Amino acid sequence: MKKQLLVAAVLAAMATMQAHAGALDDGNLSISGFGTVGVAKGNSDTAEFARYNQAKGVGDSPRISLDTNLGLQATYKMNDWLSGTVQVLSRKGPEGNFGTEVTWGFLKAKINDEVSVRVGRVVVPTFLISDYQNVGYANTMMRPPVELYAQNPIENSDGADINYQTNFGDLNFTAQAFVGVSRGKIYVSSGSGSVATYRAPDAGISISGEYGPFIVRAAHARAEMEINDIGSLNTLSNTLTAVGFGKLASDLNFKDGKKIAFTSVGMTMDWNNILLQAEYAQRRAKEPVYLADTNAWYAMAGYRIGKFVPYVAHSNVEGHGTSVTVPAAFAAAPAALRGAVTGLMGAQEQSTSLVGVRWDFAKSMALKVQLDRVKPKAKSGYLIHAPAAGTTKDINVVAVGLDFVF
Amino acid sequence: MNNNIIAAALVAALGALALPASAEVVVIVSQKNPASRMFSEQASQFFLGKSNLFTPVDLPESSAVRAEFYKKVADKDTAQVKALWSKLVFTGKATAPKEYASAAEVKKAVAADPKAIGYIEKSAVDDTVKVILTLP
Repeated sequence: MKKQLLVAAVLAAMATMQAHAGALDDGNLSISGFGTVGVAKGNSDTAEFARYNQAKGVGDSPRISLDTNLGLQATYKMNDWLSGTVQVLSRKGPEGNFGTEVTWGFLKAKINDEVSVRVGRVVVPTFLISDYQNVGYANTMMRPPVELYAQNPIENSDGADINYQTNFGDLNFTAQAFVGVSRGKIYVSSGSGSVATYRAPDAGISISGEYGPFIVRAAHARAEMEINDIGSLNTLSNTLTAVGFGKLASDLNFKDGKKIAFTSVGMTMDWNNILLQAEYAQRRAKEPVYLADTNAWYAMAGYRIGKFVPYVAHSNVEGHGTSVTVPAAFAAAPAALRGAVTGLMGAQEQSTSLVGVRWDFAKSMALKVQLDRVKPKAKSGYLIHAPAAGTTKDINVVAVGLDFVF
Repeated sequence: MNNNIIAAALVAALGALALPASAEVVVIVSQKNPASRMFSEQASQFFLGKSNLFTPVDLPESSAVRAEFYKKVADKDTAQVKALWSKLVFTGKATAPKEYASAAEVKKAVAADPKAIGYIEKSAVDDTVKVILTLP
């Protein structure tokens, strides 16, 4: 039922968009939006392909849940320097249904031509396209490479940010810093899958330089992640504590908040119709926690031919060790318990090769077709609903999507 | 006989190759704006969200002058410019330039605001606005 309502809403929005040129503008209020209507199908009946934080993925039957979304945004200008913006986004999320969330809602004060401050629910710009990853129309690829973007599912923070933009001759320089508390739900795929709640005070900075056809960006963000309700993890912790490994139990879990750091560098190039986009990101736990440290990267190359942009990309994520030191005495623990802990601490590893094409066929609309070949390597990669023993079987996912903005 | 046919064919072909007279596009600001000259790269900054110093205004998407302007000043087509603005608008960083239906309305908006910057056909220029850049 909810799915049908969402599709109806998307179609109504598109009809409105055709009727009005550009954003609806009522003096100081402007309403705009974006969305994707997408269908995807995999070829596996043993595991599902999903974006991060989705409870249901794509198996061997076609689904619209993978890439379909609708975002609505309203901005109200109070005067020359003060404005308010709210954005809501509907998409398939961690609770298995099409949920609607307030992605951001803030007051923005323009301090001068170069600096502005925003207070409220602000964007967390962890990686290169983090802040506009849900806007299909703004991106070449169908979706952000999951190998890199699943490293941090936090998208917004309740707090404040400051944005600085200046030009040194032909170099455009921007910097952004934020601080706040992120709250939300997270889908935990272990076992039969469950939804957990997180709270993470966080802060970060990103700087970016645009010169001619190139954009280079670097960012660093830290979150003190607290999750208390991962059922399977709590059960394991209780067992460990009961057999005398209380410290290991508290090292493994996210209770009381564990500091995680994300560092990334990325670039894009748009030169003579050649498009490049590449990024490298690391996740490092700064305190012991079961979540493995990872390194991830992707590279995309595309070529613009009129209104078409065919592209190829490859992405990869691999483990980089763990922050937990298992006590020597644990070697004497029961094999099943040792297996559970080792399994928990392992990194999800996966790579994907993909090919696709984007076609800007009409005003404010783009059609995309993308084929992903996903190769899970360890812990079933980022596939969900995989067999308990894990899977290393490659799966193919084909997707068609219509992106629009209005 | 053959030479005449070839010559006629060549003339016809060259005639077909003759490009339609493309509109000369100029960038305009208010007479109250202290700027007197601007380079093409500087102008593009305001229309691609890279600088807040001036407030850009657009002609409608369907306008040939708009397509010509973005092609000349940024080497981008309408869809590319729109995708670029989507990144700024939907992250709350900027609002896209306001659209006005005709050169007359663009001139009126630009003349009224010392911070406004717009573009129109050269033939539409009058003394209510100041030309700071003529695109080749």
